Amino acid sequence: MSEAASRRTIAALALVGAAIAGYLTVTWAADVAPVCTTGGCGKVQSSEYAELVGIPVAGLGLVAYLAIFATALRPGPGPAAVGAALALAGVAFSAYLFVIQAFVIEAFCLWCLLSDAVMVLLVVAAVLRLRATNADASPA
Amino acid sequence: MARRSPTRARGGKVAPTPKPPPVGKKGGSSFFTSWTALAVGLAVALAAILILVSVLGADDEPSTAAVTPAGTVDGAEEVEELLAGIPQDGLAIGDPEAPLTLLEFADLQCPFCRQWAGDAFPALVDEYVRDGRLRIEFRPMAFIGEDSGRGARAVLEAGEEDRLWHALELLFRAQGPENSGWVTDDLLEAVAASVDGLDGEALVSAASGDDELDDRIGESTAEANANGINSTPSFMLGPTGGELQRVEVTSLGPEGLREHIDALLRR
Repeated sequence: MSEAASRRTIAALALVGAAIAGYLTVTWAADVAPVCTTGGCGKVQSSEYAELVGIPVAGLGLVAYLAIFATALRPGPGPAAVGAALALAGVAFSAYLFVIQAFVIEAFCLWCLLSDAVMVLLVVAAVLRLRATNADASPA
Repeated sequence: MARRSPTRARGGKVAPTPKPPPVGKKGGSSFFTSWTALAVGLAVALAAILILVSVLGADDEPSTAAVTPAGTVDGAEEVEELLAGIPQDGLAIGDPEAPLTLLEFADLQCPFCRQWAGDAFPALVDEYVRDGRLRIEFRPMAFIGEDSGRGARAVLEAGEEDRLWHALELLFRAQGPENSGWVTDDLLEAVAASVDGLDGEALVSAASGDDELDDRIGESTAEANANGINSTPSFMLGPTGGELQRVEVTSLGPEGLREHIDALLRR
C-alpha cells in the first residue's frame, strides 16, 4: 500500500472511530445509556472504568481519533510515527478495557467493541504507512 | 607550529566527508528503524500511563456503605418526609385514581437508576404524585448481578407491607460498587430499622432467595422485553388503566419526564 493510500485509509477509519467515541461521549455527558444491542452499554458506561481522573474514556478516545486523523493529513515519517504510536497505544488500552469488560464488569458495550475493531484496523494501516514512508529515515 | 588537518587536501580544498553506512535498505523495506522505535516507545509509554491511571482510579473508589451507627440508613429521615402521607400499594405509589401512570424499570445496581431516584423521583413526587395527578409503579430488573436480585427481592418483600418505595429509595442511596456484595443482611436490617412497618428478618429472608419473588422479577423482565426495553432506567407512561407508551428521556432529572407528563395532562 502506498503512503497516500494508507493515509486515506487512516483518515477514513479515524473519522469512523471519532463518530463512535463522540456518540459515547455525548451519552456520557447527558447521563443516558447508549442505544445498545448487547445490553451492557449502560453498565459499562456507568462503571468506574468509564472515567480516568474524571475525564470520560470515550472523550479521550475522541481526542485520540482526531489526533490520528490529523497525522493522516501530513505526509512523511514523523506524522506516520506519531499516528502509529497513538494507534498502538489505543489498541493496547482497548485490549485492557476489553479484559475489564469480560472479567470485571462482566458486560460488553457494543460501541466499545466497534471502537476496538476500528482501532485494530488503524494499527494495521498505520504500520503499513510507516513502512511505506521511507521508514529508514532517522528522526535525528 | 600549526597542526595540519588530515582532511585538508593540497590546494586548501576540503575533502568530502565519507558518508556513514546506511542504517537500513533504502525504500522503506527495513522495518526496525528509528521512526518505528520512536512509535513503539511512545505507544508503550502512553498505554502504560493510561492503564496505570485506570487501575489506580478503580482502586480508589470510595465505599458507599451507608449504615449509620444507629443501625439505620443515611437519609432515612429525608425519605420518610418525602413519602409521608402518600398511599402505596404493592409496586405502586400514588392515588390509584390518578389520571396518569408511570412505569419505572430499574435495577438496584444501576448507577443511572440511582441518579434518577435521587434527582427526578423526589421532584416528580412533589409536583405530580402528592396532588394525585400521577402514580408510579416499579418494575424490578435484575440483570447486573447477584446484588440486583437480592435488592429486587428485598424491595418486593417491602411491597408486601406497602413500603416498596421507602425500601427502594433507601437502597439506591446505599448503592455500592457493582457486584461487591453490598446488599448485605446488615444493610437490609438497617433499611427495615429505618421504615415503620418493615421486618428485617423478612427482608433478609426474601433477599437470600424466594422463588415467588423471582417469578415476579421474571414477569417484569418479560414485560420489559415485550416493550423493547433493554436498558435501565426505562419508562412507560400513559393514562391509568389505559395503554402505556415507552418514553425516551433526555435527562435523568425531572425535566426528562416533565414535558411528557404535562403533555398528557393537558389532553
